[in-house]
Amino acid sequence: MKKEEFLTELEDVLQREEPCKETDDLNSYEEWDSLSKMAIMAYYDKNFGIKLTLKELKEVNTVTDLINLAGDKIQ
Amino acid sequence: MKAKFNNIKISGLSVVVPEKEINIYDEAQYYDNSVKKIDRMRKMVGFYKRRVCDYETTPSDLAYDAAKNLIEKMVIDVKSIDILLFVVQQPDYVNPACAYFLHDKLGLSKNCLAIDINQGCAGWVYGLFVANQMIASKTAKRILLLNGDTPSPKIDLSNRTTAPLFGDAGCATLIDYCEDNIESYYNIETQSSGFEALIEPYSGTRFRLDVQNDNDFKLMSELREIRYATPNGVCVSPFSGYMDGLAVFDFTMNVVPKNIKELLKYSNNTQNDIGTLCLHQANKQIVQTVGNAAGFNEEKVPYYAFETYGNNTMCSIPTTIATLDKNSSKEKLLCSGFGNGLVCASALLNLKDTKILDIKTFEKPSYVKTRNEYIKYWEKKFKGEN
Repeated sequence: MKKEEFLTELEDVLQREEPCKETDDLNSYEEWDSLSKMAIMAYYDKNFGIKLTLKELKEVNTVTDLINLAGDKIQ
Repeated sequence: MKAKFNNIKISGLSVVVPEKEINIYDEAQYYDNSVKKIDRMRKMVGFYKRRVCDYETTPSDLAYDAAKNLIEKMVIDVKSIDILLFVVQQPDYVNPACAYFLHDKLGLSKNCLAIDINQGCAGWVYGLFVANQMIASKTAKRILLLNGDTPSPKIDLSNRTTAPLFGDAGCATLIDYCEDNIESYYNIETQSSGFEALIEPYSGTRFRLDVQNDNDFKLMSELREIRYATPNGVCVSPFSGYMDGLAVFDFTMNVVPKNIKELLKYSNNTQNDIGTLCLHQANKQIVQTVGNAAGFNEEKVPYYAFETYGNNTMCSIPTTIATLDKNSSKEKLLCSGFGNGLVCASALLNLKDTKILDIKTFEKPSYVKTRNEYIKYWEKKFKGEN
């Protein structure tokens, strides 16, 4: 998946109205709650076959950190 | 634990829900009066409508009404019931077991055994499993399984992580020995290391009131006034339930899809053989995610019951079954309950000959008194006046 495509998808997963940028701090998003974290875990599992752990998600700060968790699945 | 049973059928199923319906769009004050915020919750988790009982209704009241409905509609001779199983986590009394109370109210026979089972969201599958074992051991031919739960009255409405989630319900299931070749398969898993992920920490004898000690009364009343702020800013009483949402989600994702796949293999079936995957209605997001991870197409994994009645814990699988299309195939229903324990209990059931009653609106049993009436009633008992 292309990075730009993922950023658009991320908006939908988080049900966010404003665009997501790579440099954004997720903790500054009002939508970055436990529901969103669950939605991200479900999205990664379904689309990339990657099972994220809670520990990994807790260490995520920026959108870039999140992209890095997908390894080569997001380019 | 895996098990296979034969010659045991689920003869009938009745679900009751309270009349009062809450629609999340009527609770805009908790979402900064923003319809957009509510839409987000609706889309992500499926928060919509839920049925809730009043503060004085207990799980046994709901279960009794479901039992009465089943007994009347199926014209069941109550004296033919060999065992009454009541799955309950919030009994009317800690002692004695609530099953005795229901045994009396339903007029069951002296030869009928009555037992409480303490389980939550996997409680219907648990009850079925125990009933099947008892019939398979030839100690019983007919078992009435009751389930009842009232999570909503304990939750503060301002707690937006749990208040919109839960609904209340009761359920009655009749299980019979039969000559027909009706098979069922079970796969039950216990992960007790997650014991504290879903818990009412102050509810039992760990927080027993020391009646000899006046300071204990003071401590208890102080504890009852405390409200702890959760990471998402919600104030909760330590006397209400605690849920580590992410830990439960983690467990659900790691354990439930695998448990379902193992059951398919054990019973020589594939996802294509299954008519419907009836998952515990934890929330829409969890139902969809588990269904997908277990390899099922979306249309086979309904979450209508969650959006319409809320997560009514141990009654959510029966509620789902009762809302299925009347003409849909029920020969192979895969049901999976998961929750406190933590446990996952899955069952492959054949409900082709089951009488599934329409969901009924709860009517309070005539014997139920108000809180004040109960106080006066017990006062007289203590004083030896009645």
